[in-house]
Amino acid sequence: MGETHRRTRIPAVTHASLIASLGWPLALMLALWPARTRRLAQGLAPLAPLPALWVAAVLSGDAVLELPSVLLGTRLGLDATGRLFLLFTALTWLAAGLYARAYLAHEARRSVFWAFSLATQAGNLGVCLAQDLASFYSFYALMTFAAYGLVVHTRSAEAWRAGRIYLVMAVLGELTLVAGLMMTAYAAGGTQVADIQVSTPSPLAVGLVTAGLGVKVGLPLLHLWLPLAHPVAPVPASAVLSGVMLKAGLLGWLRFLPLGYAAYPEIGATLLLLGLIAMFYGVAVGLAQSDLKVVLAYSSVSQMGFMTLGVGAGLNAPGLWPVLLPAVGLYALHHALAKSALFLGAGVALKVGGRAWVLAGLALPALALAGVPFTGGWLAKSALKAGLIALPAPWADLLGVALPLAALGTTLLMSRLLWLAHRLPAQEAAQALTPPWLAWTAAGSLLPWGFMPAWPWPMDWTGFTLAAGPVFLGLVLAFLAWRWPLAAPAIPPGDLVVPVERLLQALVRARLRLNRRAAQGR
Amino acid sequence: MTVNEMLPLAVIASSLLPGMVIFALPEARVGLRSVLNLLGAMSKLVFVILLLEGVARGEVYGFRHTVLPGLDLVFKADALALLFVTLSTVLWLFTTIYAIGYLEGSPHRSRFFGFFSLCVTATVGLAMAGNLFTFFVFYELLTLSTFPLVVHRGTPQAMRGGTVYLAYTLAGGALLLTGIVWLHGLMGQVDFVHGGSVAALGPQATAQIKVVFLLLIAGVGVKAALVPLHGWLPQAMVAPAPVSALLHAVAVVKAGAFGIVRIVYEVYGVEYAQSLGLLKPLAIAAAVTIVWGSLRALTQDDLKKRLAYSTVSQVSYIALGVALFGPVGTIGGLAHLVHQGIMKITLFFAAGNYAETLGVHKVSELDGAGRRMPLTSAAFTIAAFGMIGVAPTAGYVSKWYLGEGALAAGMDWVVAVLWTSSLLNAAYFLPILYRLWFRPPPAAWPAEHIPARGWRETGWLLLAPPLITAAAVLVTGLFAEAGWSPLAWAKLIAAREYLQ
Repeated sequence: MGETHRRTRIPAVTHASLIASLGWPLALMLALWPARTRRLAQGLAPLAPLPALWVAAVLSGDAVLELPSVLLGTRLGLDATGRLFLLFTALTWLAAGLYARAYLAHEARRSVFWAFSLATQAGNLGVCLAQDLASFYSFYALMTFAAYGLVVHTRSAEAWRAGRIYLVMAVLGELTLVAGLMMTAYAAGGTQVADIQVSTPSPLAVGLVTAGLGVKVGLPLLHLWLPLAHPVAPVPASAVLSGVMLKAGLLGWLRFLPLGYAAYPEIGATLLLLGLIAMFYGVAVGLAQSDLKVVLAYSSVSQMGFMTLGVGAGLNAPGLWPVLLPAVGLYALHHALAKSALFLGAGVALKVGGRAWVLAGLALPALALAGVPFTGGWLAKSALKAGLIALPAPWADLLGVALPLAALGTTLLMSRLLWLAHRLPAQEAAQALTPPWLAWTAAGSLLPWGFMPAWPWPMDWTGFTLAAGPVFLGLVLAFLAWRWPLAAPAIPPGDLVVPVERLLQALVRARLRLNRRAAQGR
Repeated sequence: MTVNEMLPLAVIASSLLPGMVIFALPEARVGLRSVLNLLGAMSKLVFVILLLEGVARGEVYGFRHTVLPGLDLVFKADALALLFVTLSTVLWLFTTIYAIGYLEGSPHRSRFFGFFSLCVTATVGLAMAGNLFTFFVFYELLTLSTFPLVVHRGTPQAMRGGTVYLAYTLAGGALLLTGIVWLHGLMGQVDFVHGGSVAALGPQATAQIKVVFLLLIAGVGVKAALVPLHGWLPQAMVAPAPVSALLHAVAVVKAGAFGIVRIVYEVYGVEYAQSLGLLKPLAIAAAVTIVWGSLRALTQDDLKKRLAYSTVSQVSYIALGVALFGPVGTIGGLAHLVHQGIMKITLFFAAGNYAETLGVHKVSELDGAGRRMPLTSAAFTIAAFGMIGVAPTAGYVSKWYLGEGALAAGMDWVVAVLWTSSLLNAAYFLPILYRLWFRPPPAAWPAEHIPARGWRETGWLLLAPPLITAAAVLVTGLFAEAGWSPLAWAKLIAAREYLQ
């Protein structure tokens, strides 16, 4: 009797919470429209992620909401991965929202920002809860298209250009994703994540899903939009774009690739290679940038490379997936926290200038990204390395060399960031921005400790040296570069997008000329 | 006469009779005419609901009347017929409301609404036709009753559009008639039956049967705007917006697509058509049309012309679904018959609102229209996302089933066609949305006829229909797997067509 009572009561709370976590941001968004409720909705908007946070942090185990008549059969719920992603997604949105309240205090088009931001947020949170491909794609699309409004928020010429490139690549990515999902679902005989994770789709299907989501993740060559779109958005939007929305693509990989079940050696190897390229490419091009936010965007390209390595390794050697999955999750959590803290901090630095306390606040997440011992980055990198070094040759040896080098690169890039911040002229004190940023920075440095897998790696001097050595070396190099500066070549943000854009423009012009000639001929 | 015989006739009569009366009404009797129109639309809806409920239960509705020996007028309201009848009936209701608002104060409204009623009469008659002869009769009636609507404005441009329309559709009718007569010569009267009846002719007639298939499909392909038979559709966009809605969503192109469905499934039988190798060419023709229509839409600055080319592309999804051998593709194609209808009618309603309210006819004039007309533009946005196939709209669901159907049929290349088409759809719809919502409005609109009053950006007769149909685009997509959805009905039909 008591048993039945429990069983009927808990789902009611669960269902209500799951619905509220997505419905509350959307309800607030709609409430922005009528003039009567606008002020209230604006005031509450920063708190939009609270129900989702409650779901991620408090709600018990198998929270599932089945809606068989919605879309192609919808299932919302939390597994360990989804809970982790939901947690850091909701937290980051909360931090960005509280920051945005101060950031937008004098902004005329505040409700426009909030409207797009809330819609994006609902999509981003929904992605974490979706357990079937149709609802995942619905939320993913909502997130992608609504984020356009954030990218172009400032209405500047660069914003329009970034928005255009963002949209073109996002649409290409989504269509490719859908095509891949069609094939995957056909092979799996179902649209549920549970079906797909134990299926063996064709390599083409897996490749399409990987590439489609790879646009969001910012895989090399698919990253062209990222260094343009992330910096041009208002600071709080940049923080979520670079901090958590990239992870929606990663989560898609974890959901719709048969990781740990079937091996795809070629695709796995390609991803490993792309991950390696991303790690160094992001650093190399990032070092040539002179805008704080662009440096951070390139750092995201580089950092997503680490997570790409984990997924590539999982496709290559399914046996390693049980070790890799928590490591990739932890890395995602760490990067979300550190990168959003850095973006929010960059916003503070741009307002108040390169004061010492600002630099100190930036240094904390920067060191974490570089993987200094006892930071979140160190935990994540150690966990990831424990899986990666078990890969077959030549990957294990290659990565054994590449990972410390990448940490060195990250250190250089972060030094560049701090140096750029240091040069900013001191301006007025921006008190309102500071508390949410510093609180978030502190929370971000502590939180990863709660999610580390239980010390699977050896705690010895070699480990410490391997983690701290590259950082130290990087700091030395940075110091040298500061004393004896080298003229770095200036690479425009978006790097390869510039020649691509020129080529397309030339084609369009040629086409127009042809049209004109045809018209004259007539 | 039993109730089961009378109901299909009642559905036809519920628009035919009001139409006849409206022809006779003097121009000034606006109130009576509107009441008659709405009464007809509502009573038709009631009859259709009765039919739907009965067919779902397994009732059989039909009526047969011998015109000449060996030539019967046959109606049958089966699940497939009702898919189309329901769509037409519901959208006709909204289009009527819209047309009353749209044509307020313009001349020749009795003529207009008379033909309007005749047009929907022809559509439901054709949907419920039980044999090729009946189908042909109503197919031609549809041509004749839409022509006066296309040329309604009487401008030289309208007359030209109308002439092109008539030339194409009459030629199509001639092809269809040739095919039908040929088939009659071979096997007598051809009723629509599950699994088709042509297979009984045996192998010695295969060559003739293939030619007849080409004739029949080309005949209905004109209305379905299959490339290269699509030339009339972009010309016909000179018609007033409610007529465009009728052409693109309720009646004409749908009649063509529906004809393809009937011919493949119930004249030839899908298994037999497949064994003759007729489905593959049809799939290729549909794929070419899908891509070609979208390519042409890209460069149109006239909003309605862009939408017209978009229809060329989208309607062929239905033909594509039919040509994919297997129930899943069928489900996708049939669901799209409905989904395309509600999406495209929303777009045309919105286009009409921009033209009627602001005098805006061109894509390049739409800058900032979202700020002036947010509700209309929201409806347009939802429908445009549906056309691209973004979830959770209706368009996503049909594309999904088409893709799955193609894979099940071993025609993986169709997925590439869907990819290309969606990309092109995005390329010609997203710039419109960008202009609507992100560009600043001009200092003055080209010709602002209707001033904004509070949240009422235009007349409510113009505003309500697109809002309702846009909501339907979302709801049919979001609740695709619910028991009452168009998708569920398409599944019911597919189960009946394939499980013999």
